[in-house]
Amino acid sequence: MSLLAMSSAEPSLWSPEWLPRLPQRLVEMLLRNCHAPDWLVSLAGYAVAAGTVVAVFLSAFALLSLIERKTLARIQNRLGPNRAGWFGILQPVADGIKMLTKEDIVPAKAEWFLHLMAPILIVVPSMLALGVIPYGREWVPVSLDLGLLFFFAVGTLTEVAVFMAGWASGSKFPMLGAMRAISQMVSYELPLILSALGVIMVTGSLSLPDIVNKQGDFHLGFIPAWNVFTPWGLTATLIFFIASIAEANRCPFDLPEGESEIVAGHMTEYSGFKYALFFMGEYLGLFAISGLFITLFLGGWQAPLPGLTIVPSWLWFFAKLAVVIFTHLWIRGTFPRVRMDQLMRFAWLCLIPMALLTIPAAGIWVFTGGGLKGWLIIMPLLLVPWLILTTVFNRRLASQTRNYTFADS
Amino acid sequence: MILPLLILSPLILLAALGAVWNARPVHAALMLALALALTAGLYLCIGADFIGLVQFMVYVGAVAVLIVFSLLITRPGDEAEELARRPGSLVTGLACVLPVAAVLMYAVSHTTDLPYGTAASPPLPLQKLGESLFTDYAPAVLAVGVLLTAVMVGAALFARDPDKKPTTPPES
Amino acid sequence: MTPLALLLTVSSLLFVCGLLAVLTRRNAILVLVGIELMLNAANINFIAFWRYGPADPDMTGPMFVLFSIAIAAAEAAVGLAIVLLNFRHTRSTDLNRLNSLHG
Repeated sequence: MSLLAMSSAEPSLWSPEWLPRLPQRLVEMLLRNCHAPDWLVSLAGYAVAAGTVVAVFLSAFALLSLIERKTLARIQNRLGPNRAGWFGILQPVADGIKMLTKEDIVPAKAEWFLHLMAPILIVVPSMLALGVIPYGREWVPVSLDLGLLFFFAVGTLTEVAVFMAGWASGSKFPMLGAMRAISQMVSYELPLILSALGVIMVTGSLSLPDIVNKQGDFHLGFIPAWNVFTPWGLTATLIFFIASIAEANRCPFDLPEGESEIVAGHMTEYSGFKYALFFMGEYLGLFAISGLFITLFLGGWQAPLPGLTIVPSWLWFFAKLAVVIFTHLWIRGTFPRVRMDQLMRFAWLCLIPMALLTIPAAGIWVFTGGGLKGWLIIMPLLLVPWLILTTVFNRRLASQTRNYTFADS
Repeated sequence: MILPLLILSPLILLAALGAVWNARPVHAALMLALALALTAGLYLCIGADFIGLVQFMVYVGAVAVLIVFSLLITRPGDEAEELARRPGSLVTGLACVLPVAAVLMYAVSHTTDLPYGTAASPPLPLQKLGESLFTDYAPAVLAVGVLLTAVMVGAALFARDPDKKPTTPPES
Repeated sequence: MTPLALLLTVSSLLFVCGLLAVLTRRNAILVLVGIELMLNAANINFIAFWRYGPADPDMTGPMFVLFSIAIAAAEAAVGLAIVLLNFRHTRSTDLNRLNSLHG
């Protein structure tokens, strides 16, 4: 997408499809009328695009913090915050005021510089990652040829930041939380990246807009060509989704911040605005990885039926994002936390072999040309190892009887 | 085009010096992570985008994390490093290192005598890289794959506690 | 100063820093830090010559760097595994205490 090209063949600036680009185009038009130099126009365009993304996702973060509490509450048969306004809609405002006015306590044994840098370094990768996701038809904040690799590269910065948060706090709970967090994030990074490899192979490009554009067809007139509707894509979708829950440290993989065990893990010694930054970094990371999930597997901003393309593409993206985030919340409210060794076992012995199998499956899919023949050939290749992994290998675990000792015996 | 390089180069050297000199091991490891990240930035400025992002992902995201994680496990005390600040070891180290530095600087000062062709045009062409990786360099890729598998198996084998007998987990 | 000369100077000094770390540090893990710095210096050298040196349509420089990064990661993993194994045995990462083959 060229920020400076405003061809006359484009539809009107005010049509709903191009609404996300409106602020950027307005600023550029304004500056060009003031005869600003070209570099200033493009810089201002980039700044406004970044500002739009940040503004949208920060307000989404505020909204999500409320929606999560209400959803979890309803799942748990209670009401959730409803005091701070009509249905609690002002709760994020109240939370924000509370976080900003709390005293910022830094423990005496903490390294103050690393303690300060850690929350910043947790927010920065999430914001960088939000910049490469295509939100609408030809609307990417930054269109990189290596968009997917950039996303994963900045994701690994989060691990270093979590370590810094845990170690610089100088106390035991954060250290424990940081160790758990690093081992969990490193373990689940592999299934995440390996399951994305099938998509890269089939698309032939690392550029996220290309990946979405390739999912634009409709088979048989009404089935969209999204990657989730292919056998290797379905497996990769499930693996990526589970790995993204683990990467975002959400329940059932929230051992690093297990509230009932290690207080708040690596965030224990943080208060006030720094805690708000951690919170924000976690939710922005969730948005980023869900956005990537939608881009890779659910067709990005593509509409699900041919007739529905009148709805603007960015609306489809945010609708899918809402569904994916709701699924995250639903899973959080439904599943208990997994244990550390169960977590590791699951990642290394189940997810990684399955993710590795999606790669030849994707190759065979392209080789056989897709369609029903592809499904019939690839399904055994994926189902049989999965059945072996989950039943045969787990029989050893499942057959142990539990010995219950009761207090009165 | 040399301005980003002029800014990044002293920063990389300062971070590397921090990694070498800092008495506290975790600080040294984090300075290493910083040096590696700045090197990745250097690659991005030069135009080797793919290499820069791979450097960031592998070195900063994996190697540096490995190093800090093992420092977390072994918890070296600072006093061990303070003792190592004895002048004796420093003088010996510098005595070994300065001749190497002198030879390298001499070689660098004569590099501009090389006959130049037309330099490569950035950015690194990704398609071509992938194609040549799996056609010309396919044996090397396979060898690296075998190496990495061996490393993974070996490291997992090392990590087992030899005193504990292999047990099944307590309950599933 | 040409960009090539600048990058080669940086890589030489980085190599020297890594060498100093390997020679003077007592903690085994910090010696590995020095080794990583040396490998990085060599990588910078390759990329500098790819960009500012004679034309090379085969992209030998970046290719070598890719493999070098992979092998450096593998070697760091194995090195740290050895250090941790030794730590389990002697409860110390001090290299001066690694002076006997028989535990």
